[in-house]
Amino acid sequence: MPSPAELAWLIPVLPLAGACLVGLGLISFNRTINRLRKPVALLLISCVGAAAVLSYAVLAQQLAGAGATEVLFNWASAGTFNLQMGFRVDALGAVMLALVTTIAVLVMVYSDGYMAHDKGYVRFFTYLALFSSSMLGLIISPNLLEIYVFWELVGMCSYLLVGFWYDRDGAANAAQKAFVVNRVGDFGLLLGILGLFWATGSFGFEEIGSRLQEAVAGGSLSNAAAILLCLLVFMGPMAKSAQFPLHVWLPDAMEGPTPISALIHAATMVAAGVFLVARLQPVYVPFPQVQVVIAVVGTITLFLGASIALTQMDLKKGLAYSTVSQLGYMMLAMGCGAPVAGMFHLVTHAFFKAMLFLCSGSVIHAMEDVVGHEPVLAQDMRLMGGLRKFMPITSTTFFIGCLAISGIPPLAGFWSKDEILGQAFGSFPLLWAAGFITAGMTAFYMFRLYFLTFEGSFRGTDKTVQAQLLAAAGKGAAEDHGDDHGHSHADHPHESGWQMAMPLAVLAVPSVLIGLLGTPWNSRFARLLNPEEAAHMAQHFSWGEFLPLAGASVAVSLVGISVSVLAYALHKIDLGTAVAARFPALDAFLANKWYLDAINDKLFVQGSRKLARQVLEVDSKVVDGVVNLTGLVTLGSGEGLKYLETGRAQFYALIVFGGVIALVVLFGALG
Amino acid sequence: MALDFAVTQGVTLAQSSSTAFPWLSASILFPIAAALCIPFVPDKGDGKQVRWFALGVALITFLITVGGYLNGYDPSVEGLQMVERWQWLPDLGLAWSVGADGISMPLILLTSFITALAALAAWPVTFKPKLFYFLLLAMDGGQIAVFAVQDMLLFFLAWELELLPVYLLLAIWGGKKRQYAATKFILYTAGSSLFILIVGLAMAFHGGGAPTFEYTALMAKDFSTKFQLFAYAGLLIAFGVKLPIVPLHTWLPDAHGEATAPVHMLLAGILLKMGGYALLRFNVQLLPEGHAQFAPLLVVLGVVNIIYAALTSFAQRNLKRKIAYSSISHMGFVLIGIGSFSDLGTSGAMLQMISHGLIGASLFFLVGATYDRTHTLQLDEMGGVGQKMRKMFALWTICSLASLALPGMSGFVSELMVFVGFSTSEAYSLSFRIVMAVLAAIGVILTPVYLLSMLREIFFGKENVELASHTHLVDAEPREIYVISCLLVPIIGIGLYPRIMTDSYRASIEALVQRENNAMAKVIHPPANALIRRSPMAELLPPALLQAPALG
Repeated sequence: MPSPAELAWLIPVLPLAGACLVGLGLISFNRTINRLRKPVALLLISCVGAAAVLSYAVLAQQLAGAGATEVLFNWASAGTFNLQMGFRVDALGAVMLALVTTIAVLVMVYSDGYMAHDKGYVRFFTYLALFSSSMLGLIISPNLLEIYVFWELVGMCSYLLVGFWYDRDGAANAAQKAFVVNRVGDFGLLLGILGLFWATGSFGFEEIGSRLQEAVAGGSLSNAAAILLCLLVFMGPMAKSAQFPLHVWLPDAMEGPTPISALIHAATMVAAGVFLVARLQPVYVPFPQVQVVIAVVGTITLFLGASIALTQMDLKKGLAYSTVSQLGYMMLAMGCGAPVAGMFHLVTHAFFKAMLFLCSGSVIHAMEDVVGHEPVLAQDMRLMGGLRKFMPITSTTFFIGCLAISGIPPLAGFWSKDEILGQAFGSFPLLWAAGFITAGMTAFYMFRLYFLTFEGSFRGTDKTVQAQLLAAAGKGAAEDHGDDHGHSHADHPHESGWQMAMPLAVLAVPSVLIGLLGTPWNSRFARLLNPEEAAHMAQHFSWGEFLPLAGASVAVSLVGISVSVLAYALHKIDLGTAVAARFPALDAFLANKWYLDAINDKLFVQGSRKLARQVLEVDSKVVDGVVNLTGLVTLGSGEGLKYLETGRAQFYALIVFGGVIALVVLFGALG
Repeated sequence: MALDFAVTQGVTLAQSSSTAFPWLSASILFPIAAALCIPFVPDKGDGKQVRWFALGVALITFLITVGGYLNGYDPSVEGLQMVERWQWLPDLGLAWSVGADGISMPLILLTSFITALAALAAWPVTFKPKLFYFLLLAMDGGQIAVFAVQDMLLFFLAWELELLPVYLLLAIWGGKKRQYAATKFILYTAGSSLFILIVGLAMAFHGGGAPTFEYTALMAKDFSTKFQLFAYAGLLIAFGVKLPIVPLHTWLPDAHGEATAPVHMLLAGILLKMGGYALLRFNVQLLPEGHAQFAPLLVVLGVVNIIYAALTSFAQRNLKRKIAYSSISHMGFVLIGIGSFSDLGTSGAMLQMISHGLIGASLFFLVGATYDRTHTLQLDEMGGVGQKMRKMFALWTICSLASLALPGMSGFVSELMVFVGFSTSEAYSLSFRIVMAVLAAIGVILTPVYLLSMLREIFFGKENVELASHTHLVDAEPREIYVISCLLVPIIGIGLYPRIMTDSYRASIEALVQRENNAMAKVIHPPANALIRRSPMAELLPPALLQAPALG
């Protein structure tokens, strides 16, 4: 009987097999398969469920103290050169496996309710299984190359799922943006991997780390070059984990169905960047400058995300910016050289943020009964309010999530966030300050979301607000009811069915309790990932250090909550006149998301289009014309060849290259 | 010495295999002979009988090549195999000499495979079907001949013969500007192939004695470096038109833009590969010292291809021309791989040719299938087509993802091999490698930009009312799904486990790179050459890297 670790390759393969089977069925027997909704869902949930069982077996083995298992085979080879693939199971991977499979199963159960009336139900489940497979493959990858493979595959799944409702223009644009922005990160990642391979001759994490250090110590590689390579690799995590300035795709990705936002864009895929940085610790640790960059990027991101979340009126977008901010916290932990703390926050955040997103999905689902299938209306909090009366389970779990993310003890977020802030206080006090203030902002905006959605009176039937929102989104009031098939709208929303309520309740348990696994004086989590560090932490733990810092974070959270209560529950202060009216520039700055989307659009989108048009102009007028007429003659004559005789082909090459660029520039200037 | 060894090996193999079934000659002559029988196929003129005949012949040809691969070909042998040789015109030194090694065998298989699928893709052709299928089958034999012949004069004949069917296929079944496109195609290719003839003659007569055109004999000749440079430059122009290399590419968007779907598949799937194959066969194998001098130019041109064509593809509003430019962009990786002086990079170039043959053919087939429904190729006139054509949407998505080098598909493996091979190559200075790798990697960003934009404009969004009301948008039919599936099986198979393909040509590529490296060691004179030199890093690097291609 092989051990669970030896069977770990089955974990990604099982969902993949299910997805392939259904996918082939969809292409070949579209109608039949589309009618077999429940059997398909059952099949795919069991595939992921089996993977979950296996993952827990692997985790149990790791908890019992089993070492890392690595199995490799030659995937591609040429000459004496081999590219290896395989799988690797260790404590870090086991934790992620259990986390991803758990949330994936819950999200799939939830989707059965959420997508019940969607035409693409079967397709949706197929994509979900495909995503689970890629994500699990990423986790058990033994080297950077294989990580890159699955990195791209999860990106593709994200593309497919964000663009799931492909008849919506917003979804189409968001899907493309997500893929392209991630490719920008992958550009760096690929070059970094190539560079590290050139410098160390390896794709393995530990090997790269030790050989890179040797190379720098031996003088064959300058310190600056090593840092550059590390930073190039970091571009990958920056894009995937939505770090400034590559975070722009994540809020747009909320165009996808809400279960996807919970699974991919909150709990698992966006955490892959943090996971990769944790895997790369052996490479990064010897270079403090790299660590500083990671920490600073993380801090910018956490502050940026929280500040934009302050003014969002779209429930999902608010949660999306909150995710950006929390990912920044994780990155900050990585930069402080505290991967265990970062991973711990990743785990706790995955549970409570997945729950929050699923709650928002439950709300949107309920709102659609009232306002119709129009995301502009169904997701806007100006039309919500008072939902607690109608949706007790959703509102309770959302409230628990808010407490957890705000860092109120003893809920999960308190322990993990406090751990990060403690580490930052020791390493970079300035960054700690930013993280500390952001903690207060987090508590404020989360409770703002809660109060606007669940408290007060229900505003969903207010036609004037609806009309205003539609007008602001540039949509006519007439077309939004096109897909309602004539059924009349309900007056008030209802609680969702058991498929949706059950995952919420299940996720609430770890959101409350899982933090207790990582108390600083007895961290079972740290003991699993890094026993030495756990012992060190427990030994050096003192209440005198812990209480002031923890007390301060709780205090700042309470301040945030209080402001929120005063403004949105008791209506004692009107933030609109008190702050927004007094600082219109600041308000506009936040409402326009720091103007980053506008800059992107101007600089890169329009810029690349213009450049492409110019090149095409050059191609059709200049190159085609010249080559058609005289090109052949001159190229064949001795004039060109004389140059080659000197043997300086490379110089010639640069001239060709320069010539092309000069042509483009010339035409750009003229045209 | 390695090349003497190769010659003797070729000869012994020729003797030993003289009694075996002539697989290669059969695969060349059978489709041509069958094509000549087409006038006698009973057919009412609507092509319903003749298309079955053509499909059958193309399939049998495919089976012959597969039979040859399984029975006559040994992937572990680096030299020429399955050699068949008869004297033809001894005075001219012309002999019917065919054979296959690792460089040609995969491409022979690719040719017969794609042609069989093209015959299936040509199902809706009803205009002059007999002539159409005659040309299709003639092309099949001609293209296999280009890859299989082992005699330069014969190669030139096959190269020229294969132009005529393409010209006619373009000029008769093409789009609105078909005459212009066909003329441009023939002028470019015929003009450039003059260089092949001139260089071939020069090489044959070089060194005095009886002229000889056979590759093995030419390989044994000791050309001076100066002669190699001239010959190399001439051949580079000839094959650069075919591949194509920017700025010699402008015939391609016109030709591709006007061709019908099955011709398209052949143009993208096979014709472009003739350029890459010929570069490996002649420029690298016969003129290694010239290659040692010219390789940086190939790399630079490869990078130009990637970026330049990706940008023009992005700006194109015509679907066919967009995909045509994307082909040019992908061929850039072939150039970089050929110029990389590494086993891995050269192997990647070979794999990129095969992979693009499959992916390019699938995309062009889809373009044709879409055009049959929308009757427009302008992206502005499409939009929201995915509502009615869901399967078509799925197929398009899969093939586009394959084209943008998604892992798990063949394009990723080949591009990755080129990247890793080039960036670890010891032949170039570090700064050159960095600049080129960074520029080539920009292609990694640009490719999804134009491919995903294209998908978005065709399929996403609200249905284009005007288009939907004027056309009958039916979903993909089983024949179309079958054609794409046939292409996807090898695409995904290679993507998951590339060794099923790379192992079949590995030995030949390694011998080829060994030859390159020997030549480079001869050419190197350190002070004059800034770029081609042994990196000082080599001594200092950890041992693992020193296993990379050693110089000298």
